[in-house]
Amino acid sequence: MKHSSRVALLLLPSAAVVLMLLLPMLRLAAEGWGGTVDWAFITIWQDDFLKWRLAWSFVQAILTCFLALVFGLPVAWVLARFDFPGRQLVLRLLMLPFVVPTLVAALGVLAIWGPQGVLSQALGIDLQDTPWLLLYGNLFFNLCLVIRAGVDALGQVNAHCVAASRSLGATPWRAFWRVEWPVIAPWLTSSLCLVFLYCFSGFGLALVLGGQRYATVEVEIYTLVAYELKLAQASSLALWMLVLTGLVALAYAYVEKRLSVSTRLQPVALRQPKTALNWLAVFGSMAVLFFFCAAPILAIVWRALLADSQAWAALLDAETQLALWNTLRFSAVALLIATVLGIAHALGTGTGRGSVAWRAAAYLPLIASPVTVAFGLLLLYPDWTASLALLIAAYAVLAYPFVTKAMTAGLGSLPDNLGQVARTLGASPLRTFSRVTLPLLSPALRRGMAFAAATALGEFAVTLFLSRPEWTTLTTLIYQRLGKPGAVNVDTAMLLACVLMLLSALVFVVIDAPEWFGKTAPKLTKS
Amino acid sequence: MLELKSISKRFENRFLADKLNLSVARGEIVALLGASGAGKSTLLKIVAGLEQPDAGQVFFDQQDITQLSPEKRHFALLFQDFALFPHLNVLDNVAFGLIEQKLSKKTACEQAFAMLERFNLATHAYDKVTTLSGGEQQRVALARALITQPKALLLDEPFSALDAELRQSLRDEFKQHITNMGVTTILVTHDELEARAMAHRGFRLAAGQLTPVW
Repeated sequence: MKHSSRVALLLLPSAAVVLMLLLPMLRLAAEGWGGTVDWAFITIWQDDFLKWRLAWSFVQAILTCFLALVFGLPVAWVLARFDFPGRQLVLRLLMLPFVVPTLVAALGVLAIWGPQGVLSQALGIDLQDTPWLLLYGNLFFNLCLVIRAGVDALGQVNAHCVAASRSLGATPWRAFWRVEWPVIAPWLTSSLCLVFLYCFSGFGLALVLGGQRYATVEVEIYTLVAYELKLAQASSLALWMLVLTGLVALAYAYVEKRLSVSTRLQPVALRQPKTALNWLAVFGSMAVLFFFCAAPILAIVWRALLADSQAWAALLDAETQLALWNTLRFSAVALLIATVLGIAHALGTGTGRGSVAWRAAAYLPLIASPVTVAFGLLLLYPDWTASLALLIAAYAVLAYPFVTKAMTAGLGSLPDNLGQVARTLGASPLRTFSRVTLPLLSPALRRGMAFAAATALGEFAVTLFLSRPEWTTLTTLIYQRLGKPGAVNVDTAMLLACVLMLLSALVFVVIDAPEWFGKTAPKLTKS
Repeated sequence: MLELKSISKRFENRFLADKLNLSVARGEIVALLGASGAGKSTLLKIVAGLEQPDAGQVFFDQQDITQLSPEKRHFALLFQDFALFPHLNVLDNVAFGLIEQKLSKKTACEQAFAMLERFNLATHAYDKVTTLSGGEQQRVALARALITQPKALLLDEPFSALDAELRQSLRDEFKQHITNMGVTTILVTHDELEARAMAHRGFRLAAGQLTPVW
């Protein structure tokens, strides 16, 4: 593709990111730096309460990284080395937490460990107002991320190198430490950077599970803006969040750049678990996955099934129907825009010089805190805050990196010579795209769109900031119900969470249907 | 006649082609030999229009086609990994170029099927290309290239992914098809035996210069 065509394609996503992400964050930074004398950028550290918020946000993110590594690495090793019944299904299901909306996950945690939770009642444990609820919720989302990275990384270990180390006298443990670990460490570091970013700038989970004491900075920013109207103070906090997340994002980009995929290695062969110890490892891993990743989802379903008839009736009231309609229409429009932005960004990025920078730029909306972005949008476009266009544009910008990411990976594995042959057979660049490139990339595109749709369906933070009462979505309705007293409201929230979860699963299966029903994509290997 | 005049191409401060000249007569098969990285494939892509030379011109029948896009040159290119479209079956792969020539899908498929019969591949017409053997895949690639009756055929290491026995039988079959159609051909290979078996003339590319070998 010509350089000028690439530039033209990149104009659209660049404009979207600059207008909807960078400028709002810069506006926020200016507000934070130039705020009133009392709440300038530095003096925020003199406030013990805010200092605790920042410190706790940092500590809970680090703790989650540690726990995700401790639990995730052994599970990844078992999945990467043992071939057992249901392994493929487990690998596929590892994606599920990524499509579960944050608020649904929070409800899942409450359904297990909340005041009326399944396990808290059975075991007589009260975890309310402790940090464990938030850490458990964080692990629900992030354990799978570390496990997937671990499985991919272990697939990059060359069996010949392991065999060579064993023949040179290394025990299995020494071979792991001296041969396998150096290969997988960068991959794990990369995934842990992401885990840190997600947890540090997490909002939905911390808002519902953190309580007064263990809420994060993002929740504090929301409280300062929405309830206390202390914009300067909120800006200073947001600026610190920008600085800290920016530093970790840079570390992530550095590590990510060093990751390389070798196509010419001999992967370590999967083996059947034979000894009792092998089976213990397999069942132990499945138990870890069940406890952290499956239990919250099952608990919601369980609580919903036991819900009061009043709660079931609430599913049919006008408020719920409006929220469902809003969720669907906002998500559909956002998905359409996100798909166009994502394809343009991926095609414009290409694989040549400068592609690394553009590839990294696609991650910006993923690592930017939605609260910071929404707050920045409020400050930058005060006249547009009641505009549906702004809300949907924000949805689209936050969702489109999934399309870009999937398409870029697909383009990377597409052999150059297929397009070249099509051109020599008489196809114009546009025809080559429509007859060769697009059909071959359709599985990747569908996968990216499925994630983008799930993101839009479960969007919470931006909606909370920019929404109007008549634009209530399922996520904001769940939050409203949770804020109201009475068991019926909690039951209704659980039922709504089920609806949202079903919707996400349905959208995922519909968009990604051929993959789920066995129609596999043509295998592409770059020569 | 296909002519390259004073073609120059640099890659990372190294000349792949340095004011290089070559003429290939109509129906002639010319082989380009050379070590890996010498620039043989790049030269082929310059002829196909997939890469632009830093300097020099490409002529076909006295017409300067240097700036002509690949789809308008009407040259066919064959790669060592066959480059068959994995989302299309055998018949649709062969019909691809005809559809780009604005033939109806029905006519294109009829002609493609007839071509497959000539190549003894008709029984595989509706198979996925990934289910074929290496030799069958390369024959499908040749059928796809020749069906559009290209002005020139550009072969980039067409047999290197195949085993020795198959290479020999396939190169005889290829030569027969190419000779029958009288198409101007440039064959890029690092195998001199193969080159001598197929080509009328052979050149070695080294340091950006072509030296006649036979």
